[in-house]
Order: sequence, then structure tokens, then C-alpha cells
Amino acid sequence: MRLNKLLVATTALALLAGAANAEETLKIGALVTLSGAGSSWGQGMLRAAELAAEDVNKDGGLKVGDTSYKVQVIPYDDSYKANEAVTAANRLVFEDKVKYIIGTVGSAPILAIQPITEENKVITMTLGFTAEALSAEKPYTFRPNPTTAEVAQPQIDWIVANKGIKTVGALFPKDETGQAIAKDVGQAYANAGAELSAVEFFERDRVDFIPLLTRIVAQGVDAIELDGNSPVTAGQIVQQARDIGFEGVIIRTGGPATQDIVNVAGKEATEGMFVHSAYDPGVETAAAYEKRYTETYKDQMNGFSPFFYDGTKMLFKAMQDAGTVEDTDAVKTALENLKDYDGVLGTLNWTGAERYGIAHQLDSPFYIARVEDGSEVIVAKCTSQGCE
Amino acid sequence: MSFLIAQSIINGVILGTLYLMMAIGFTLAFGVMRIVNFAHGEFYMIGAFLTLIGVKWLGLPFPAALVVTVVMAILLGGLVERFVFRPFRADELSGMIASLGLAMILQHMALIIFGPDPQSFPSLVSGVYRLGDLIVPKSRALTLGAGVVILLAFYGFLMHTRMGRALRALVQDQEVASIYGVRLEIMYPLGLGLGVALAAVAGGLMAPLFGVSPFIGGTPLLKAFIVVILGGLGSIPGAALAAILLGLIESLTSSFVSASAADIVTFALVVVVLLVRPSGLMGRAEA
Repeated sequence: MRLNKLLVATTALALLAGAANAEETLKIGALVTLSGAGSSWGQGMLRAAELAAEDVNKDGGLKVGDTSYKVQVIPYDDSYKANEAVTAANRLVFEDKVKYIIGTVGSAPILAIQPITEENKVITMTLGFTAEALSAEKPYTFRPNPTTAEVAQPQIDWIVANKGIKTVGALFPKDETGQAIAKDVGQAYANAGAELSAVEFFERDRVDFIPLLTRIVAQGVDAIELDGNSPVTAGQIVQQARDIGFEGVIIRTGGPATQDIVNVAGKEATEGMFVHSAYDPGVETAAAYEKRYTETYKDQMNGFSPFFYDGTKMLFKAMQDAGTVEDTDAVKTALENLKDYDGVLGTLNWTGAERYGIAHQLDSPFYIARVEDGSEVIVAKCTSQGCE
Repeated sequence: MSFLIAQSIINGVILGTLYLMMAIGFTLAFGVMRIVNFAHGEFYMIGAFLTLIGVKWLGLPFPAALVVTVVMAILLGGLVERFVFRPFRADELSGMIASLGLAMILQHMALIIFGPDPQSFPSLVSGVYRLGDLIVPKSRALTLGAGVVILLAFYGFLMHTRMGRALRALVQDQEVASIYGVRLEIMYPLGLGLGVALAAVAGGLMAPLFGVSPFIGGTPLLKAFIVVILGGLGSIPGAALAAILLGLIESLTSSFVSASAADIVTFALVVVVLLVRPSGLMGRAEA
């Protein structure tokens, strides 16, 4: 009997406390991939949101107008699948009643949840690389990370000019992604004055590339491009190209993957490889973020994580500027109006009006790095305008 | 052009030897046990992980790690025979389904223990041997050499030892072999153990070339299948012929036509062989 009373009393207390807190809690959804392929990206995004929330909560909550909100991140896993993303989006929007979602990781999932989020004026921050994620008809979607479309041309221009490259060979997986990237990369090399002269397509589960590489190398290419391949496959291509004595330049355009490539191919084979790098560890704030990340989670940081940390912080700033967390129209406008935001990655702005019809694409500095002894060493700093 | 042909032939022979190691273990397990072992590819994966553990965690030299892998694999094969396959000895279909289940269990166990990410394997040698224009990567030459040595040793064991004779007798006729005093309770686990060990050692040898992850077993299993169908299930000389043939076809077609053409040619050949010689190039027809 006494136990029962105690139980009732605690429940009542908990309810009261809950009610009291609810007024000052700001819920943010994190609809990301936490299992299977793509989970390293999803983890990086979720943790970025958690660290950003930790920052504001530490100072007594996010101050918007006169109210302080305690930020709570609600994670959901979409397993990189559109149907599971829709289920999670429905729960976030209609049951958890969130107005802001960090996610999704994949292109198909973001396209699948946009009918729900746009209709209900929920602001999303996606990693999805598809060009269709951003458009004037989807005003509540933002993308706080550069995609291949933003980085490929300046990076390829720089490498072609500086390394005197005329012909390039490449291997792509034989599917929609591979075909599309082959076309884009081929165009980018052509614009830069080089030629993607030897192209091979292969089944995604292939591990032996020596016959294909023999053919490519026999055509005397100056460089091999790895864009479009998963980190593991890219690593195998690097290793086997060096195995058959290829001494030219190896280039990885787009997507942070250097660590995985080095893991697979080894330090010797990757020496001198040119890679896209999302951030410069020489920038103090970026290095500090990485240190905090690895210390908090005892895990290597994924290259996309700092973008979503900055993205979430920009979202908070926009709420403060707009003076509301409820009116997402006002927050959206405030977010669009953020200029020269000082993030851990450097100075950030929105771009994309020309390419997507709406300026919801982050314009951030990025880098070309040379791999030396298994680590990236920055050799050029780039913006969407060019590298130097 | 002649350079490309010679280079492709070298690539093809290396590839063929790699396939042969997988196929012989597979065909031996079938010959002895009458079980189509779908878990064969997973033993390849386990061999790769065991060698990785030996080299990277225990700091053993590569050959020592391979020996440890072989011993562990024979034990593992014996255990699997005792606890999984023994009830299905005379039942090919149930045995096959049991092996499918075993494959899933092994793959997911590796996934739980090691995670989905590929593990790096320190490369043993680097550089190339050059013969005029021709290039042989040292890493592949090493694998080729080790593979040939292992296959010869295995052949010697099978042809010239008492146990090898007993195994061959078992492949020919189980009842007669048992009347002549072949001890089934030892030979069955040994037969599967050796088959598993060949897959595992292939995994260990190829780990430095192709990397290690829980999902690497699928492709070699498929290749072993093709080799065994072409060569004739249960026939070791047939497997040798078919493996080199497959390696050459893949290499030459990939280099001169395209990677997709290599798959088409390979499977077209499988279809033709099945139509014209259902027992395989050197297999014997079922009595």
C-alpha cells in the first residue's frame, strides 16, 4: 500500500516536472542513418546536433526573445531507406511535433519526406547530394554541406593546371550513380582542358580491378580519378593501380574518404594522392571541434560532422534573430538572411540560386589535400569560384 | 598490342590460381561429404580474419599466421562436420540448406565482432617484377608462388599418403571404403576440415590483395561454383583446368572487350558446358 502511494506521488511529480519543462523545451529531430551503409555519416550528423545542443544548454538554454529553451535532440534511424524515413518523419512531425529536422543522410529519403516536411513547414537540413533536394518549390529544405556539383569544377581546374594533366582514366560502378558521375566528371575535365579518355564500368561487388586497370594504364593516362566509388573500392583501385606499376597522379574528387582509402590501400600506395578535403585541420576552430568530437564519442570524426554542427548553430542563430521557435516562416527567412556566419569551418554563406533556383546551398571554403604518410596535407584553398 | 596480350595472360594465370584454391576445397567437401557447401565463402572470410588477427594483433610473421590459420580452420571444419553436417550425410538437399544457414550465422558473427568496416591489411611486399615490357606485381607473384606450393603439397598428401588414399577411396565409394577399413568417423571431419582449410588459406593469402571485411566471401564462392561446374563436381584435375580457363577468359575479355563482356562470356560458357557435357569438362557421369 505504502509502495503504491509512493508510486502515485512520484508519477505525479514526474508529470508536473514534465509539464513545467515542456514550456521551455525545444525539440529537434535527427532523422539520420544509424545502421548499415551510411551510418558513419548519420552518426556524424546526429552527434553534431547533440554537440550544438550541448553548447546552448550549457549556458542555460537557447535564449529566444525572453524565453530560454532547453534543446532536446530526438534521433530516428532511417537505415538509408525512403520508406523508413517516411515513417520516422510522420512520427517526428505529428507525434513529437518537431518543427526542425536534421537529416536525412540519403537522397532518396529526403525526396520521400519532403511532401510531409514542406507541407507542414518543417525546416530540414539534409546531406542528400541529389540536385532535386533543393528547389524554389521546397523552401523549407537547406543543405549545409557542399556536394560534388559545388566542388568538382574548381578542384579539377586546379589539379589539371598544376599537374599538367592531359588524359585521365577512371573506373565507375555500373549503375545510375556511376553513369551520372562519369558524365559530370567527364564534363568537368573537358572544361578544365583535359580529357577523360579511358573509362571502365564494373559491377559494384567487384574486387579485382587488375584487368581493367591494365587496359587503362596501357592507354598511357596521366591520372586516375576515383570519384563515384565507395571508399573501400577506391582503396582497392589505388592499391591495384600501384601494384601494376602505375606511377601517375591519383585524384579523388568529392566526398570525405581519405582515411578509409588509406586503410585499404596502405600508406605507400596512397602517397601523393590528391583528395578533396572538407576542412582544414590547420583552422583552429575546426581542429578544436574534431578534438571535442573524438574526446566525447571516442570515435573518429566523419568529415561531414562539422558542417552539421555549423548548420545546427546557424539554425539556432536564425531562431534568435527571428525571435520565435514556432513561426518557421520567420526562422526560414532569418536563416536565409544570415551572411558571413562565423562557423568552426570558416566564413559561411548561402548560395545556389543559379543552380537550384533557391539559395539554400551552403557555400563554404574547401581544400585540396595531398596525402603524405597516410594523412592529408592541405595544398590549396578553394571556394566555388576557384582554388589557389 | 602483343604486350597487352602477354600481360593479360599473366594476369589470367594468377587469377586462375587464386580461383583454383577456392574450388578445390569446395569440390573436395562435395566429393567426400556429398554436401554443396554454401558456407565455403564464409570460411574464406574467416581465414582472412584469422590471418589478419595473427599478423596485426599478435604480431606474427605472415607465414606463421597462415599456419595458425590452417590449423584453426581444420579444427573448425571438423567441428562443423560433427555438429552441423553429420545428420545430413546422405541428404544433399538438407545439407545444402544447413550450409546456407551456417553461412549467414558465420557472416553475421563476423559482423558483430569486427563491424562492417573494411580492415586494412599491411602489404607484405611492394613493387613489381619487370620482364621487358611485362609487369608482374610482387604481391601477386608471392600469392601465386604460395598458392602453387600449397596446391602441390595438398596434391602430394592426397596421392601419396595413407590418409589421402582413404579420402580418395571415400570419394569413389563410401560403403566399399568403409568395408576396407577406412574410418569414417575420422575421415569425414578431416575431409571437410581440409576443404575448409583450403578456403581459409586462400582467404589469408588474398587478404593483402583484396582487403578484409565480413562480406568478402560472396565473390570467391561464386567463382568456385563456376569452376566446379565447368570442371566437373568432384574432379580435381577438372577444377585445375577450369580455374585457369576462367582466369584467362576473365582477364582477356576484360582487357580487350569490357568487364561486363567477361561476365557474359563466363556464364555463356557455363551454359554451353551444362548443355553439352552436364558432368563438366572432366567430371564423371553419375552412376
